[in-house]
Amino acid sequence: MTHEGPQLEHLTRRLTETPVDFLAEPRVGKNGLVQVDAVVADLLRELGGIPHAREMATFAGFDAKKDRNRLATTLLLAWLLGDEWFRGAQTSPQAVLAVLGSAPAELAAQTAARSFVSDPDRREELVRVLLARLDLRPAGETTAQAQDRLTSISATERERFIAASRAAEERARAIRAALAKKAAEESADKYTRE
Amino acid sequence: MNDPEPTDEQRYPTLSADGRAMLMRLREHPHAPLYHNHSGNRLTAAEVERVRGFEDEVMAARIDWTHDAPPAWLPDFIAQCHLEVPHYRALGSAPQRLEDLPSVSRADFSTDIAAFVPDTAPLDRLINFRTSGTSGHPLLIASHPVVAASYLAFHKRALHRFGVTLTASRGEVGVVLLGMQRKCFTYVSVTPAMNEAGLAKINLHPDDWRDPTDRAAYLNDLQPEVIAGDPISFTELLTLPMTWKPRALLCTSMALLTGLRRQLEQRFTCPVLDLYSMNEGGPIAVFDPAVDGHVLLQNRLFVEILDENDRRVPPGQRGEITLTGGFNFCLPLLRYRTGDHASIDFHGAEPVLRGFSGRPPVRYRAADGTWLNNIEITHAFKDLSLPQWSLHQAADGGMTLRHAGGGHQDEPARTVLQRLFGALPLQIHPLPAGGDKVIQYTSDLPDPHA
Repeated sequence: MTHEGPQLEHLTRRLTETPVDFLAEPRVGKNGLVQVDAVVADLLRELGGIPHAREMATFAGFDAKKDRNRLATTLLLAWLLGDEWFRGAQTSPQAVLAVLGSAPAELAAQTAARSFVSDPDRREELVRVLLARLDLRPAGETTAQAQDRLTSISATERERFIAASRAAEERARAIRAALAKKAAEESADKYTRE
Repeated sequence: MNDPEPTDEQRYPTLSADGRAMLMRLREHPHAPLYHNHSGNRLTAAEVERVRGFEDEVMAARIDWTHDAPPAWLPDFIAQCHLEVPHYRALGSAPQRLEDLPSVSRADFSTDIAAFVPDTAPLDRLINFRTSGTSGHPLLIASHPVVAASYLAFHKRALHRFGVTLTASRGEVGVVLLGMQRKCFTYVSVTPAMNEAGLAKINLHPDDWRDPTDRAAYLNDLQPEVIAGDPISFTELLTLPMTWKPRALLCTSMALLTGLRRQLEQRFTCPVLDLYSMNEGGPIAVFDPAVDGHVLLQNRLFVEILDENDRRVPPGQRGEITLTGGFNFCLPLLRYRTGDHASIDFHGAEPVLRGFSGRPPVRYRAADGTWLNNIEITHAFKDLSLPQWSLHQAADGGMTLRHAGGGHQDEPARTVLQRLFGALPLQIHPLPAGGDKVIQYTSDLPDPHA
């Protein structure tokens, strides 16, 4: 966070104004609409880079469970990075590629992509993570302030995620146990049986 | 872990003295079979009312979606599944269109059914339905007593189409469910939504009876309003000197040929309903000869016909029957591929499944090199009375038919197959008794899937 970046509010507002094309369903295997690899390639070109097919392969989806939310998050980050400020600051295409290659998977593991648009805390988290990965801090904040706020907002989300994961695992165990009980095995009346 | 047997209070929470008398009559009848198991309706008084209300809703409901206009409830349903069901939540945000969602299959359910049970499903009264199936993916389906009891709403809707309104009540037997297997889950119960009309699930296999002649005597005395079964148990029923005429037969589980249906209709002078029903989705459709197809029964179930790339095919084109919605609140379905195939068509505004086939299509090569789809074989067999059969084509083109229709049907079946395939080597063998499901159509030829 050694360099000053754009205003935080400028980017969070940009997120709330995400156009439908960047909210559309990412192409994953045979489903979805938007080819995220093509969107990323366009972004890199806008920033003066030359996209290589090998690098773009990261942004093609094959497995909905692994890729759908990650690619939907990638689209949101691509929309943010398309802001005038990044072009004006001559942001390195290689740095952008590195961010898009790693941050979406980490963010998407905890949060559904649409929450990064609809939930104010998640909007702020997405913007702060993006800036931090580009070694930027929001305009008007000191490095310490930016670091504190990012840690705080990410930690809260991580705690929520860990608690939710634990509850989900516990629930799955409880479902399996309930289904194995004698009472469940005995089932209940139906007028026909398959 | 302490896992006690359920008590009768848990099995029949609203049981009255009349209901108790019915259970006793069914179990202790002088001609009764040996009942091996226990089960019950499990319904509380409030749930009985809920089930009755649901029946009214289903009877009055219209299925008003078309190929181009999915049902109005769909967007909310997709959003709810993404909020409450772990498997869909893990995919991220809810998509705006159903077609953007990847389909799921029996294999997904088989891997971990818990991932498909919503956070809102109550676990204290969970029940399961097990299916072995023939696809290599045994299934354990999460369900609830209210869901099981709600099947009746769709049966009533189907029966209404054939002019039958169920009236069985206190002191009468509403339904007898027939099995014909060496080992079969058998029990007695009462149906509270029908004022505790009796319910018996019995096995017609002679080993389950003190005397095989008790089978007809028991059924004659119970006088069930409806008899439910499959083609195998109904074929056995035809051999019994039962004189009682139920008001309808409900047939599930296996393909019911027109010949057997006509035989049953003539013998029992009642409608024989061929239901398309599965543990994953409940009663989905009923065959109506008047429209030459299966008409849908559930007003909260959207049926798509998909190609192998998850694309919805146009009306009239065959593909895999795929379900969204349903009434099992413990297992909401979102693009669930059933493994069954048909095309969808509209009879007026009513969606109809045509050319239903319970498995992926298989092609057979005739002696002259032309290919025939298995649906043509089912169609050609329609006037026979085969309760169950399987047809296999070996790599050299030779055919083997196994069937449970008795030796007297060998020659008619041979004639049908020779007319279709010409002079190919053909062997016909009896299908071993036992009542298990079989994979009906198989082939060793390369690329047999149409």
